[in-house]
Amino acid sequence: MAARGKDPDPPPPAALTCASPAECSLSSTQSHTVCMVSDFFYPNMGGVESHIYQLSQCLIERGHKIIIVTHAYGNRKGVRYLTNGLKVYYLPLKVMYNQSTATTLFHSLPLLRYIFVREKVTIIHSHSSFSAMAHDALFHGKTMGLQTVFTDHSLFGFADVSSVLTNKLLTVSLCDTNHIICVSYTSKENTVLRATLNPEIVSVIPNAVDPTDFTPDPFQRHDDVVTIIVVSRLVYRKGTDLLSGIIPKLCLKYPDLNFIIGGEGPKRIILEEVRERYQLHDRVHLLGALEHKNVRNVLVQGHIFLNTSLTEAFCMAILEAASCGLQVVSTRVGGIPEVLPESLIILCEPSVKSLCEGLEKAISQLKSGTLLPPADIHNIVKTFYTWRNVAERTEKVYDRVSREAVLSMDKRLDRLISHCGPVTGCIFALLAVFNFLFLVFLQWMIPDSLIDVAVDASGPQSTWGRQCSYSKQRDQNSSEPSKTR
Amino acid sequence: MEDELSFSDICGGRLALQRRYYSPTCREFCLSCPRLSLRSLTAVTCSVWLAAYGLFTLCENSMILSAAIFIILLGLLGYLHFVKIDQETLLIIDSLGIQMTSSYASGKESTTFIEMGKVKDIIINEAIYMQKVIYYLCILLKDPVEPHGISQVVPVFQSAKPRLDCLIEVYRSCQEILAHQKATSTSP
Repeated sequence: MAARGKDPDPPPPAALTCASPAECSLSSTQSHTVCMVSDFFYPNMGGVESHIYQLSQCLIERGHKIIIVTHAYGNRKGVRYLTNGLKVYYLPLKVMYNQSTATTLFHSLPLLRYIFVREKVTIIHSHSSFSAMAHDALFHGKTMGLQTVFTDHSLFGFADVSSVLTNKLLTVSLCDTNHIICVSYTSKENTVLRATLNPEIVSVIPNAVDPTDFTPDPFQRHDDVVTIIVVSRLVYRKGTDLLSGIIPKLCLKYPDLNFIIGGEGPKRIILEEVRERYQLHDRVHLLGALEHKNVRNVLVQGHIFLNTSLTEAFCMAILEAASCGLQVVSTRVGGIPEVLPESLIILCEPSVKSLCEGLEKAISQLKSGTLLPPADIHNIVKTFYTWRNVAERTEKVYDRVSREAVLSMDKRLDRLISHCGPVTGCIFALLAVFNFLFLVFLQWMIPDSLIDVAVDASGPQSTWGRQCSYSKQRDQNSSEPSKTR
Repeated sequence: MEDELSFSDICGGRLALQRRYYSPTCREFCLSCPRLSLRSLTAVTCSVWLAAYGLFTLCENSMILSAAIFIILLGLLGYLHFVKIDQETLLIIDSLGIQMTSSYASGKESTTFIEMGKVKDIIINEAIYMQKVIYYLCILLKDPVEPHGISQVVPVFQSAKPRLDCLIEVYRSCQEILAHQKATSTSP
């Protein structure tokens, strides 16, 4: 985190707060048509997927029209509708690696253009820097003169070859994007440095948890023993090696200590070795891969949640654990210190010694009874991160973006050449010109007037369950701001 | 009663929709595409001939020229007989069922009939087709095993591919008849 000292200005919240209440009320009446693009969406499971889904649902509730574009998953291709008329396009594009599509920058233009035109999209919102389709959509959106927003969900390094390359591509992709959203200030810092961006067009909107999914249940845990829960993928990044050092140390010291470890990964073998060597079969339980809906049932069995991540943009796991009323012990890396207030989390350095001290502190607090009861922790956490709040803040980004002008073609080329270095800049400027010519060709082949405008399933002209949902939507819209503000 | 409306297909070509109302419970919709135009026929013939002459000057074998004649003749026959559909008709009769007829440019006709008992509903659906996302009209068939399931989706006007405004016109009329059919089949 050497970069922290270099960043001169404190994180400017200007992008997220309205200048005056009048402007707020004026802008919230404006309805946007947003197209969320990412390679990652249900039925694939993960953080980005649920983020897109929850955010879309809350934006629909606020009266915007949302569509989602992703690639086909097996037999699931074509057009599907989810709850509340959320329309999902599963496009038949080839998957290359790790659920990410191949990119040639051009082949997806005809279909994406057709969708943008028929849905009358005004804002393109791409998610995740690992998704090739998201970058393609940004590129095409800018060529078509639409507003673009990008959400970054992950942290990267700067040193190795692959991250140097991805950082270069990110620079090219983001240099003419209207607005970028990051999930934590650390992630913002990282993205600004990686993509050499102007920090003023980067906003921070954290993730959220659904507090009703993660409720405490103190009767599930046994109070005669202390149970430590770990739920993470068992990979190097998540610090499984640290965990294997902690387990024997603490188990020797406290005879009434149990570990429950959920998750799967290549490092599982290390934990099994430790369990074997120290004969801890009855005290260390390895549950293997967990489905997201079962995570809560595991969490409520414990008293303390341990997170040993070595890098993390915004840690959802500790938030879910705190929402279930557990005391959280975590490493002080990435965006983790921003997530919870000091009273709810014990932060340690990413070393076995420091983590053991942190855990011992938590255990002694637990035994002396100075920890907050689970229900109290839940009630505190529940107010911090809600999807409604995320949607409200995202809406402000959309309002701001929709007032901005889209760069014209010549300005965009200038920006590319001046911003991305002489070689890369020129190559991508050339590609942008080709893309524009391709678009002109497509517009000649199939003029916009020949494309049928799609029937809206969400948004102000929604035809989805018209009778009942209209009155319901009004109710929610009027009651909601008072709840979240 | 009979009337004719003009619509366009998804590529911008002209389509004519003829509606014939024989009785309140029997209607016919007839979509006709423009016939094979002399211009496109000439263009294809010329390009094949140019290619043939090009090859002929290269290898100086007159077999190529005669082959070109055969290719054009057989291609044209095949195209008219198997590919080019001039007219697609949807006949819906309340008490009987739905009949779909497509007549090829050569005069060949192929007919499918679906009896009313098998029809679950008629809907407009969206599909991704050749770099496009299009609307199409289709008939849902009941699953004989499971009463609420759908066993098959039969697309209508498959070759004409009319635009949404035309589909809505046909859809409304079909729904009227289906509603009438449901009302009469449940009342006795």
